[in-house]
Amino acid sequence: MARHGISITAAHHPPAACSAAPRAVAAAVAALLATAPLMAQVDLGTEEQRAAGKVVYDKYCGQCHGDDGDGNGYATLRVKPKPRDFTTGKYKFRTTPNGMLPTDDDLRRAIEVGLPYTSMPGWPNLTSAEIDNVIYYIKSFSPDFENPDRYGEPIDIPPPLESTEESISRGRVVYEEQGCASCHGEVGRGDGPSAPTLVNDKGDPIKIADLTQRWTYRGGPTKEDIYRTFSTGLNGTPMPSYADSLEVEDRQHLVNYVYSLGDGDDPGYGTLITAVHAEEPIDLQNGDALDALFADAPMTRFPLVGQISEPGRNFYPSVTSIEAQAVYNRDEIAFRVRWNDLRADTTGRNGPSMDVPMWDEDNGIGGDAEDGAEDAADSGDFFGDFGGEEAPAAAEDDFFGGGDTGDDFFGGGDDGDDFFGGGDAGSGGAEFSDAVALQFPISLAEAGSPLKPYFLFGDSQNPVDLWFVNLTYGVADTFRGRGSDQVVPTEADIVEAVTSYDQGEWTVTYKRRRSSRAGISFAEQQYTPIAFSVWDGFNRERGNKRALSSWFYVYTEPSVQQAATLPVLRAAFLVLAIELLVVFLVRRRARQRAAGSDTAADAVAAAGAPAV
Amino acid sequence: MDGFNLPLLLALAAVAGALVWRRANTLTWLLFSWGALWAFFKFGFTVPIPQSVATIYLGITTLALVCFASSSRERLEEVTSPIVRLIREPRYRLPLAALLVALPALAAYNVHADMNVPLEAPGFGREVHPAPPTEITVHGETLDMATADNPYIHLHEDDPAAYEEHLENGRRVYYENCFWCHGDGMGGDGMFAHGLNPAPSNFNDGGTLPILQASFVHWRIALGAPGLPAGGTPWDSAMPAWEKFLTTEEMWDVNLFIYDFNGFEPRALGQH
Repeated sequence: MARHGISITAAHHPPAACSAAPRAVAAAVAALLATAPLMAQVDLGTEEQRAAGKVVYDKYCGQCHGDDGDGNGYATLRVKPKPRDFTTGKYKFRTTPNGMLPTDDDLRRAIEVGLPYTSMPGWPNLTSAEIDNVIYYIKSFSPDFENPDRYGEPIDIPPPLESTEESISRGRVVYEEQGCASCHGEVGRGDGPSAPTLVNDKGDPIKIADLTQRWTYRGGPTKEDIYRTFSTGLNGTPMPSYADSLEVEDRQHLVNYVYSLGDGDDPGYGTLITAVHAEEPIDLQNGDALDALFADAPMTRFPLVGQISEPGRNFYPSVTSIEAQAVYNRDEIAFRVRWNDLRADTTGRNGPSMDVPMWDEDNGIGGDAEDGAEDAADSGDFFGDFGGEEAPAAAEDDFFGGGDTGDDFFGGGDDGDDFFGGGDAGSGGAEFSDAVALQFPISLAEAGSPLKPYFLFGDSQNPVDLWFVNLTYGVADTFRGRGSDQVVPTEADIVEAVTSYDQGEWTVTYKRRRSSRAGISFAEQQYTPIAFSVWDGFNRERGNKRALSSWFYVYTEPSVQQAATLPVLRAAFLVLAIELLVVFLVRRRARQRAAGSDTAADAVAAAGAPAV
Repeated sequence: MDGFNLPLLLALAAVAGALVWRRANTLTWLLFSWGALWAFFKFGFTVPIPQSVATIYLGITTLALVCFASSSRERLEEVTSPIVRLIREPRYRLPLAALLVALPALAAYNVHADMNVPLEAPGFGREVHPAPPTEITVHGETLDMATADNPYIHLHEDDPAAYEEHLENGRRVYYENCFWCHGDGMGGDGMFAHGLNPAPSNFNDGGTLPILQASFVHWRIALGAPGLPAGGTPWDSAMPAWEKFLTTEEMWDVNLFIYDFNGFEPRALGQH
């Protein structure tokens, strides 16, 4: 900006007019201009603007970011990542060099667009002036914004390179050389060996970006966004800037590699799995044959959100989506689900009926984190006695004084504090295992009826069956749910499963006979409700503290598909036949009339006047 | 005019104007009316109306137009004579042939498109604001839905400072519990909303909070999805029964807060 300013000044002074005095003036002006951009950047607004910003802030921002801007609002204990602490002056998403303050436009973008898959939404309802004012007010929380030395020029973001094979493979080399995989994982699923240990400079655990799910990138999904992150780093996090260590071109190749890892800008969430028909037997033990079977089955991605309706709430589930496919043959049906998880937790316990103490959802509400961790370890011993998910639900309920959800249970919120005050994922790690469950109603409602069991593990009148896999054991157990506190093991149907964890991705394949006496049967051309639950042991998810989906459907495609040719031809010929009939009738009538009446009538008809 | 596709409406009006100016005949008007209504049902609304509904409307329209055309002998002649001429007169032989080919092709295309519609999960209707019961029991206390009101609403006049405290408590409750689904700005667009069906209520919408009594909102908060009648598909809704988590006071406070935040007032008691 500064150099730009000088060149403009020079351009307005033709050389001929450059006597000594004007030159001195020009030099002074240039000197002023050289510092002017920096001075201009320290723009803290007027008192009125900040006051107007405070009104907006107090209404829309303070509940998370704190009325004092310190990131301590009402919601803070129940969200991850935590709301930005504006008093630190540290911002992750900037166009300015590492360590510098963001520009007003950077802040504006965060407010307008929000940070996807965090608790920071976009605010399209705010006017441009309101956003300007709230930016002034936010800046007033940190003295850094008064310091000109903390301001930097926005970096240059060159137009992205085309994603050629050479560029992508060069990017892969850079990815390896720079050690990106140690956090982001070999293929970018956020499963690097360091991923579970990452914290920000406040000591809060942070979840690393899953590079394969571009729609979850907090800073935006475009190549320009990715380049910006490489070049500016994310202040306050372990993500460094590569502005000094990587040439511009290598950063561009790296962008293309990272971009190639993603499935698209949009998750493309669906509502239906189409189960395709196969002639072959479904053999879970023959991995290659199984992969071949599923290769032709369409894959649908479903959104997962935290279970927050029933006690044991999960406000920040690790897993935000799951992909599912289905294949069936004459006798059996198989489901395959996949999701990304930063670490395979295969040594702990888990189960759909495991009790979760009240307040477990809160990041250390009512007690400090250390106490919590200690108590968590204690309670782990208790749990250990039950031998993991094999423990009958009844026994767990007894231990915790009943799964009943009445006032007694919640009145004991203080007990809850003592239990898992803030036990953190990073510390114990293996206490709870990863797990997954498919959920089906045990029977279909009458045709045309929307009736389904309650999507949260069923209800007393309409039970569900759960095909639960604790990934410590990798076998399927079946549970029958009549409500979140009424989930019991059942032996009604034999469900088999195989599991694998590869480069940050869990794959679980289930198989069951299509027909069942006790549970749901999968007839051809049937829409069967299905829902999903995923537990991330690393995030201390178990029991009702889980990621879940709404009800969706699996449609068993007919084994014999009707070709479109015949109906299409039929429709065409039918219409043609009608047309020809009309033409024939009209012409015959005209001929009859011409033959049977005088020519005058014909003349009248030809003239378009009504003929009687 | 929110909710309508304005450019389409303007275009249709322009065509209608042109037809008036050119003194179009009755057949042209009939064809235009049918086509315009088809376009209106299909593209005229920002939120598309269901295909089945559009089909019913269009069916009724077609019937009405046929009735109009055949309402008198003269009009029937007026409508059919251009068609008769098209069929009979040798100079129209080429357009007639084109029409004879085009219509079956259109029908074939339609059948083909119908057979290749991507599969969709079955959809069911749902009552958004089902009729509430006459009384509800929250935390063991029975409330008459017709007469119950927010016990703190009168503080607005009587004790503004106390009212502010209740509002602030409601704000705390909302941002500790509700915004994941109903959204930071209460637009029904919280970070979990995309994973829920039915979608969480949008409290910014002038057709939601203002048409409901405070007692209705209290019923929905306290008893949640499990308290809905079958018409509200309680099995699909993620709305918790907040009496499990919150005190009665907290529930009335958050009730106050969501009205205040959006600048709405509850529908008055006894107002139907």
